[in-house]
Amino acid sequence: MLDTALALLAGLVLLVLYSPIIISALFSVVEVNGGIIDWSSATLRFYAELWQNESILSAIRATVLVGVLSVTLAALLAVVLAFYVEWRHALAPRLVELIVYIPFLVPPIITGLSLLIFFVDVGVERSVLTIAIGHTVLVLAVLFRLTLTRLQSIPPSLAEASADLGANAWQTFRLVMWPQLRPAVLTGAILALTVSFDETLVSLFVAGDTMTLPLRLWAMMRVGFSPEVNALVTIILAFSIVLAIIIALRMRPNTERHDQ
Amino acid sequence: MTRALPRFLLTAAALAVPVVLIVLPFGSFLMSAFWTKEGSEIIREFSLANFRDFFANATYVRVFLRTLLLCAQVTLIGLVIGYPVAYFIWRRRGAVRYLLLLAFVVPLFMSYIVKIYTMRSILGLNGFLNQILVGVGLLDKPSLVFLYNQTSILVTMSVIFLPFVILPVFLSLDRIPRNLVEASADMGAGTFGTLRHVVVPLSLPGVVAGCLFTFVLALGDFVTPQMVGGPTGFTFGRVIWSQFGLAFNWPFGAAMGVVLLSVSILVILLAGVALRRQRV
Repeated sequence: MLDTALALLAGLVLLVLYSPIIISALFSVVEVNGGIIDWSSATLRFYAELWQNESILSAIRATVLVGVLSVTLAALLAVVLAFYVEWRHALAPRLVELIVYIPFLVPPIITGLSLLIFFVDVGVERSVLTIAIGHTVLVLAVLFRLTLTRLQSIPPSLAEASADLGANAWQTFRLVMWPQLRPAVLTGAILALTVSFDETLVSLFVAGDTMTLPLRLWAMMRVGFSPEVNALVTIILAFSIVLAIIIALRMRPNTERHDQ
Repeated sequence: MTRALPRFLLTAAALAVPVVLIVLPFGSFLMSAFWTKEGSEIIREFSLANFRDFFANATYVRVFLRTLLLCAQVTLIGLVIGYPVAYFIWRRRGAVRYLLLLAFVVPLFMSYIVKIYTMRSILGLNGFLNQILVGVGLLDKPSLVFLYNQTSILVTMSVIFLPFVILPVFLSLDRIPRNLVEASADMGAGTFGTLRHVVVPLSLPGVVAGCLFTFVLALGDFVTPQMVGGPTGFTFGRVIWSQFGLAFNWPFGAAMGVVLLSVSILVILLAGVALRRQRV
């Protein structure tokens, strides 16, 4: 009895949570007149037309550029900072950790308006670069957390053994530490990419005239619901779902608990 | 033996970027909250005028309080629906359990703006909800009451933030040792007895975390009210956003941002206290 009721609730919730992809996929291929689906109108024309829409193409380019720039920069910073806070001579390592987490902990509206005020104060024009900076500080927390957890699980004896065998610091990093860290950094990078890909609240503050995909979608939706919008939405959702499943699969093998 | 100079240089190199990209922006934001705007000039002198103006303005304070209430409602709805769903996933076994969990986590990654857009198309005049209600005869004609008001913000936020409750609750249920549940059953407790005395108390950390995420996310959201709130559905986030657009009083917007940030920090601290109590 209880299980049946719960299953019903779970099913209903799933239906609502997946309604975005169901509805947009449906409306991107068929017309609906008076609540009745007109299957004879089924067409993939709107998917083809997307590739001729310059405003959508430029939004895709901006989104990819922002994603690649911010995730690369954040991954580099995350590795450097993870080594720094684990270094025994580090100054105030806990404070450094807190600083890195701040943009992720506070509501995005605060991160967004802080960056906006700062950019205007120092005279930086808003562009695709300021969006990339906004995304960098946001995803840094994710990458840093995953990298640090992995780094802390590497036995110090590995680095010591490497030094004993005559490796210098760079060789130890390159040949011993990095192969251990790489899977965590890569998982973090994919996770960060999904965050950047979908980021709206911070971008709205720092974007200026540049449109990333979410911002372009927002602008398109204010005008109205066209089959073209639905086609674009379907592609975006399918892409995010694929990324989400990749992340889930990558994180699955390491299900050992990190109970403190 | 510490070599002071290399230590300092390495520290400076490692911290330069976080300081410039995180500390300085947050510093500018906090400082500008205490500046004032007169005409088109920003007066860069310490003043509490923005905060005084805010708390003296009944309209702003009403929107602020109503937003806190809205966030509490979103959190409560999230918990009432999300907890049973998390409990349901937890009771499954093997592959079904993993796939169900995955199914409820994937929506976290689906575009936020698209979710709002979908909710708008469900709740709208020609939306699914109206078509269903008219179809089954509950309504004579499509109704406008589902969209562009305070309730549509509540419904939309509840749907968007629901996975943020389900995941932490599931993770904390998953930490409950199976033998505790079995022991409770062996001692004669039914499903509800075990739920009430064993499962719910032990899953409270997840409940607190889920509520915290939902409340803070709802508090800072300004796109949902903008898209489904219409002219009457104002929230605090939307009011702050408008200061950076049309109204264009940045110091005043920053001051309201400080108020919003203070509430978030207070909620995070309260959640921390609640969790510590739980552990004792």
